[in-house]
Amino acid sequence: MSNEMITDAAKEAMDGFEPAESANEKKQMDNMLDFDDDPLSATGVSRKSLVIFFLIDTSGSMKGKKMGELNTVMEELIPEIRKVGEADTEVKVAVLTFSTDVKWMYSTPIPIEDFEWARLRANGVTSMGAAFKELNLRMSRNSFLNSPSLSFAPVIFLMTDGYPSDDYKEGLKELQANSWYKFGLKAALGIGNEANDDVLAEFTGSADTVVHAYSGGQLAQMIKIIAVTSSQIGSKSMTLSDDSGREIGEEDVFAAKQKLLGQQIQELVGSKVEANDVPFDTGW
Amino acid sequence: MFNGFSHSVMGASHEKTGLVCQDNSSFKVCDNYAVAVVADGHGSKKHFRSHLGSKYAVESTIEAIDRYYENTEDFEENFPKNYKMILRNIEKQIISNWNKKVEKHLEENPVTDEEKSKFTEEEFEKIPPESYYGSTLIAAVTSKKFTFGVQIGDGSLVALFEDGKAVMPMEYNESAPANVTASICNSNAAGMFSSFFTDKKKLIALFASTDGLYTSFGSEYDFLDYHTIITSQLTNIEAFKQIIVNNLTKRSHFGTEDDISLSCVFNQEILDSSIDIIKNAVEDNKKRAADRRAELLTKQVDI
Repeated sequence: MSNEMITDAAKEAMDGFEPAESANEKKQMDNMLDFDDDPLSATGVSRKSLVIFFLIDTSGSMKGKKMGELNTVMEELIPEIRKVGEADTEVKVAVLTFSTDVKWMYSTPIPIEDFEWARLRANGVTSMGAAFKELNLRMSRNSFLNSPSLSFAPVIFLMTDGYPSDDYKEGLKELQANSWYKFGLKAALGIGNEANDDVLAEFTGSADTVVHAYSGGQLAQMIKIIAVTSSQIGSKSMTLSDDSGREIGEEDVFAAKQKLLGQQIQELVGSKVEANDVPFDTGW
Repeated sequence: MFNGFSHSVMGASHEKTGLVCQDNSSFKVCDNYAVAVVADGHGSKKHFRSHLGSKYAVESTIEAIDRYYENTEDFEENFPKNYKMILRNIEKQIISNWNKKVEKHLEENPVTDEEKSKFTEEEFEKIPPESYYGSTLIAAVTSKKFTFGVQIGDGSLVALFEDGKAVMPMEYNESAPANVTASICNSNAAGMFSSFFTDKKKLIALFASTDGLYTSFGSEYDFLDYHTIITSQLTNIEAFKQIIVNNLTKRSHFGTEDDISLSCVFNQEILDSSIDIIKNAVEDNKKRAADRRAELLTKQVDI
């Protein structure tokens, strides 16, 4: 997916975003200020950064083509997310898998340039509540969000194919008290018929940011749409003023971003439904 | 005995929007003490004179410290005994100096129609006048006998003592999303300061910086290592100043695009006698950075 998939309506909604400086201008400035014997170049300059959290259900029901397709899509997705960050944002990725246990793919968020997908296997039950608790623990300045250059609230993307097997409400309650979660951009993807959209909407806070994939083709499309769109919106600076130039609060900016994400996801999903795809529950 | 430097660079985002630089910085070195100070004007709409507020914060701090050192002998004897109380008094003195400067400026330069035109009457009435000038402040002071610092709002204070390790003696209280930084313009500003004091360690170098510098780093380790590298070059400070200015400009342009200020004071004698320790620390830091990167890229899941 690329920028040309963003519709006119979505472009209009993004009028409050600041334009990025061109890569050429940046390069010129870099050349002007770089010289060979600068000892300070040992510590690199970090651009504004954004962390994307993927919460991925790896329970037994994901076994087979669902997990195979998900692994393939995620491998393909990484270069596309790299493009999002090319201009002026450093995107970092953190992947939390949950089945009987919860496990991070890496011990800390990894810059997208260095990120390599580790193919996942499916097994066990769906400990979604435990995943929410683990996410809550890590979404802190003392843990995964400790980078000084962190400038944007995180993007949190949940993917699951079934109903939680633990008390997800308890985990969600803890998560909902976390400021990073409150201001983060949240989206969820239900995979197959068993995924419960109500649970997913509870997680994202809105039905607009929940989509469903019933086939391998849809799964690939939905993951790309959500991941790329949310990182594009999440990594843009919005002006803290409304049309009349009056100042608006940061909370309003976060709410506007979440609303925009819902609008864009629904528009893009609506334009991408393919009828000839084989559904998970019959084909797989 | 003491030496120093300070510099402020304008952020790329402020260049784009036509804002003036909201940061201010200065340093002062005397026979008995040295002060490094930076301030970051808030820059948002209701703080429309914050570039002046940050200037007044810097001036107010140096004036306050100068006043305490008018009787150096008494001050140096009493401070270690009552440092908590004296730190509170210094903070109050800085706020008082700042308020006087703001009041004087406002009296001589009433708010213009153009400044008011950006608000509705109701909105403007709600803004306390001192908020027009809102700013953070970080001040670092060292003398022959002790070292201390005071801070209100975002920003960092880094110290290198004779063991060659860069440390942040005051906890960096980076805000979560939508939290607002503390400000010298707050009505309860006196209760919002952080501070530190030590007379147990010999200081090599002391740095104060606005948050534009901190946020241009990917990790806190890199941020601290940066100060160690600068310290390793302070023996040749005149030649190194331009390199620092270039680097701050680059960080401001490619980092979070915010204004950046860095101010430093150092003890030349202790630096000269510790330079090998500092240079070794720079090399050790490079190795540790490589080890951290290798660890970072290790996958934890079964594949």
